[in-house]
Amino acid sequence: MFDLINMNPMLVTFLEVLLICVKVVVVSLILFMLPLPLTYMERKVAGHIQVRLGPFRTGPHGLLQPFADMIKLIFKEDVVPAKADQFLFKIAPIVAMVPVFTVYATVPFGESVTIPFINKELTLYISDMNVGILYVLGIAGLSVYGMILAGWASNSKYPMLGGLRSSAQMISYELALSLAAVGVVMMANSLSLVDIVRGQYDWHWNIIYQPVGFFIFLIAGIAEINRIPFDMPEDEGTLGAGYHAEYSAMRFAFFMLTEYVAMVTISTLGVIMFFGGWDGPSFLPGIVWFVLKVAAFIYFFMWARFTFPRYRFDQLMTIGWKILLPLALLNILITGLVII
Amino acid sequence: MSSNRKSDFSVKNILKKVLFIDLIQGLVVTFGYTFTKTITMRYPDEETWIPYQRFRGLHTLNRNKEGKELCVGCELCAKSCPTQCITVVPMEDKTGKGIADRVAARWEINLLRCMFCGLCEDACPTEALKLGRQYELAGKSMQRQLRSKEELLAPQAVPADFEGGVIVKARLERDEEGMIVKPDMSVQKRWW
Repeated sequence: MFDLINMNPMLVTFLEVLLICVKVVVVSLILFMLPLPLTYMERKVAGHIQVRLGPFRTGPHGLLQPFADMIKLIFKEDVVPAKADQFLFKIAPIVAMVPVFTVYATVPFGESVTIPFINKELTLYISDMNVGILYVLGIAGLSVYGMILAGWASNSKYPMLGGLRSSAQMISYELALSLAAVGVVMMANSLSLVDIVRGQYDWHWNIIYQPVGFFIFLIAGIAEINRIPFDMPEDEGTLGAGYHAEYSAMRFAFFMLTEYVAMVTISTLGVIMFFGGWDGPSFLPGIVWFVLKVAAFIYFFMWARFTFPRYRFDQLMTIGWKILLPLALLNILITGLVII
Repeated sequence: MSSNRKSDFSVKNILKKVLFIDLIQGLVVTFGYTFTKTITMRYPDEETWIPYQRFRGLHTLNRNKEGKELCVGCELCAKSCPTQCITVVPMEDKTGKGIADRVAARWEINLLRCMFCGLCEDACPTEALKLGRQYELAGKSMQRQLRSKEELLAPQAVPADFEGGVIVKARLERDEEGMIVKPDMSVQKRWW
């Protein structure tokens, strides 16, 4: 066994950089693979809520269905409508996809672990920014540009309406979401996601101190990731498929990927901000608690999707501006008074 | 829109809205359904539906208790058939004792033309002809749809006295001619 301290400083720097690269690759790969289990889970949840079986014929219990879908999407023809804005149409899925992946640069998955053999401490996040939560909310909001561009570039009325709706929705709900997060930031006295989790150790979870903040976060979060009951941008009942109606093959898959990763992002944020991150009874490692909590959140989003009808667009705006925003401000005020 | 709606400011209603009671009730309902038995019938790989006795499927020719064909070759079925898809050629059967019996030398049905109206069944004076409960009739050749007496005399998978109206375990079998779903009558279920 050799020790890091006695090693060449060049080598140590190299190792550090290598480690970061490996972490980036691993996180990206996991995120790219996530839609496979999530689509399967979504269809199974949908099936069982509707007293059906869900996918069942491809492989045992339909387990190979996501792979079949993936292969289908890869081999389908990539159609770009003749009257679409070619450049914007092609770039929109990427614009939507990149921000949701970038968010994971600061998301922590657990306390640091020590790698055996080289005694190197490994942090389970790519970087611990001191403005972590600001960065996450800011970057995640950029993803809406992809939807607006897709809606605009398609040169078709339903995608256009979907894109407009997504921008309007984003403006109204991003505010409430951020203000809900402010309460948590006040509790932790820090913007860093790691510090926010550390402030909640030993069951001092923010859900106990910030229940109103949590509900605002949850509702605004559902609106943010465009899921029923707030899935106005891709309202399949009235807009065909909304902003991605003209997309096919892998470009469509990129939008699906964006949507699922955004759902995981909101679930992760919810767990970090309100459910103590990786804090839990010690018989399981922290990362397992973290994954379980995120999975529970995702299940809740799917469950809600197959329970509630869709809100009308004006109702959605009313909820955002007239209820959530004042409530979030009140929550901050009360939190501030209590803390002082 | 909301202005002309009468607002209800009772404590009960406000509490109901603040605590999301309606939404939670909805979630509880769907969560309950998540764990109920599904009603999906996995036809044809694993399960199949056995129709009631009134069902009119593939024709079956019956025998009496001694194993003798009940058909007397009277051709009433062929005459009553609206699409004229039944061919009956009678002959004399001299194997029996005493008087010679009239039996069918050929009894053939063209399932491509048959519309399963059941008039032949009604016309039959000896209850020899009955429309059974086999309904997977797809095949790969036209010739397959001409069913002869010998094929129809063979007992069907669902016995005539079985009540039906259930789902049973089944197995899909393919051959060069087509495919058939073999029901296993021992495992039955009703989902309602």
